[in-house]
Amino acid sequence: MDFKRSIKEKKYVVEISQREVEELRNSIRAAYDKVIADYVERMKRGWAGRPKVMDYFYEMADFSRREKELIEAKSEGKKIIGYTCVFAPVELILAADAIPVRVSCGLYEPAKIGNRIVPVEVCPVIRSTVGAKIIGLSPFLEQSDALITALTCDGMTKLSEIMSDYKPVWTICPPRLKDTEQSLSFWRSELLTLKANIEKLTGTKITGKSLRRAIERVHRANRVFRKLQNLRKEKPVIMGRDAMLVTQIAMWDDLERWTEKAELLCIELEERLKENNLACPPDTPRVMLTGSPIIWPDNWKLPNLIEEAKPQGIIVADELCSGDRFLYDPVGVDEWTFEDMFTALAERYLMPSTCPCFTSEAGNEDRVNWLINRVKEWRVEGVIYYIYRGCMLYAMEYMRIKHALDHLNVPTYYLDTDYTREDVGQIKTRVEAFLEMLKARIEI
Amino acid sequence: MIEGSQQYWRWREYHLVFPEKRPKQSSIITAGVDIGSVSSKAVIMVNGEIYSISIMRTGSSSPDSAKKVMEWALKDTELKLSDIHYIVGTGYGRVNVPMAHNTLTEIACHAKGANYIWGPTVRTILDVGGQDIKAIKCDEKGKVLSFLMNDKCAAGTGRGMEVLADLLKIPIEEMGAVSLNVDEEPEPVSCTCVAFARTEAMWLLRRGWTKEKVLAAYMRAMAIRMCNLLQRVGCESELAVTGGQSKNVGIISRVESLLGMKTLPMPEWEKDGRDPMAAGAIGAALFAKALHEKAKK
Repeated sequence: MDFKRSIKEKKYVVEISQREVEELRNSIRAAYDKVIADYVERMKRGWAGRPKVMDYFYEMADFSRREKELIEAKSEGKKIIGYTCVFAPVELILAADAIPVRVSCGLYEPAKIGNRIVPVEVCPVIRSTVGAKIIGLSPFLEQSDALITALTCDGMTKLSEIMSDYKPVWTICPPRLKDTEQSLSFWRSELLTLKANIEKLTGTKITGKSLRRAIERVHRANRVFRKLQNLRKEKPVIMGRDAMLVTQIAMWDDLERWTEKAELLCIELEERLKENNLACPPDTPRVMLTGSPIIWPDNWKLPNLIEEAKPQGIIVADELCSGDRFLYDPVGVDEWTFEDMFTALAERYLMPSTCPCFTSEAGNEDRVNWLINRVKEWRVEGVIYYIYRGCMLYAMEYMRIKHALDHLNVPTYYLDTDYTREDVGQIKTRVEAFLEMLKARIEI
Repeated sequence: MIEGSQQYWRWREYHLVFPEKRPKQSSIITAGVDIGSVSSKAVIMVNGEIYSISIMRTGSSSPDSAKKVMEWALKDTELKLSDIHYIVGTGYGRVNVPMAHNTLTEIACHAKGANYIWGPTVRTILDVGGQDIKAIKCDEKGKVLSFLMNDKCAAGTGRGMEVLADLLKIPIEEMGAVSLNVDEEPEPVSCTCVAFARTEAMWLLRRGWTKEKVLAAYMRAMAIRMCNLLQRVGCESELAVTGGQSKNVGIISRVESLLGMKTLPMPEWEKDGRDPMAAGAIGAALFAKALHEKAKK
């Protein structure tokens, strides 16, 4: 399926004057620059003895450096391919010598502008991404020459349509069942179509050789990505929100440079572990996040609250598509033939996914297993199930997950919010009460 | 008082001292200060027993409210603020209690306080405060096992009662009893929103409903909300109600009939200060004692 530009008529676009667009863009951009500066400052304050290499990630947290690089790359003829969802195989983009960037939006204010097209009941990621597009706010979305969207939840599905008013959109449709006979072959054919679209845009043929090189490049990132997470199994050598930021930057940074910097970070953290040089006291309650994606910068509300709370908590793991899930699983290639590589690629982006768009008799078993494994191996003491309004699939799966986690005797707290700062005081009380509860359990 | 100038919403602010609990030389003196959105509570404990208690309306500034309610609790005692070994602040305004050595959330404090008021058999606590409702489950020591809180909206809380008291011209402390004075329980109001409470109540009055019936309908809707929250957290016996609404028989009796279970009886708090409305401050004072002892070790 392909919503090409051949459909000339705009389907969703609303009338808005150029002057209003500019006013909104400038004021919101100034506001989020402030938010980024403030959050980075708070993260620095929260981890005074941080390794030097963290400064690189704090710098990248501000989108402007990467934006300049993308503009430069474009002027040299490179193509930027945005994606809204982690179902997009970045290997294919890299193999065509294009640049992948994730474009889903974590900014609060544009969500209100998104309301002009989609009703307020819709999840704020969608509304915010739409709003950002209306006013040309998001640097990565603006630079993208085309978008890959996955038809996972209802929001993502309709977002594809809306975005196709502005850019070429290539949809990929994951099957909702993983294990039927047709599932993998259907998904593989979706990716083949995507490959053809990427080749057409970039004018670069994806060959066995280039695909192998791309897979190997991502493998290096996978290894570091995993290493960073495995380090969080131990005593706390890195604050959770810092680790989350590092993870998230991989979604817009140059992957090779990210790998190099993240590796330096891991080496430093390993040293610190040996020296028992910790980021916070070892008895700090260990929290895992699961649920709706948490996207930098605005939506850092919850990580900030947890790690600045009294009593303090530390996020040691997450099951977020914006977090630990992103580069965790490598493409598992047996034979480096094109056919095999492509099948392995399709498997990688289908089988390990814990997205709640899947269902099975056991009820999204892979997500349950991921969470159980994390709780055990990462010694998680409490799980916060994070939901924003309109995130129907994650909200509906809560009971299934809660039942599974109850068996492990790990408390789960359902925290519902929206893209807003108004409820920070109320959420703070909830988070602190939950952490007090965990602390009381630990002290027994 | 002249008719018309009466402030129906005004509930009783009070201060009680129990001189028989007066401190000795070696006593551990602690205090809990609970700054809620509507009321502020302070409790002074001597060796973990209530010596003095005060409850008053929260003003526009949390630090001022904390100072005032604490001063009132110290009044007619032999104590000065500096005699108190350890103070814990709690409630919505907990970070703005200037004299507090430490803070804890009201959720932990209400569980601890309910455990003190009714003993170790309390398993579920319904705390209905000025602007929120909490359902808390705890163990025999008063430790929180799980909890739920309503969202940011103040529907079905103490603040809503104040609005109605004003509108219907019924003193707030009599509203519960008045609401039970109906032949038949009416349908609950469709919306317990504080902002719309006035509008909806007026509409019902214009339709010829009696004040009693309007109150019954509103309280029933509030009780349903509370029961939903309790059922979601998994309501287990014994159930205690804390916060200002624990004194509202109109709410309590409806919660009991909807759940098909009794709530723990209102203690004779005027004799010993075990006022469920002050459960948060009581719990905070108990935590203060534990924290003081821990710090001394």
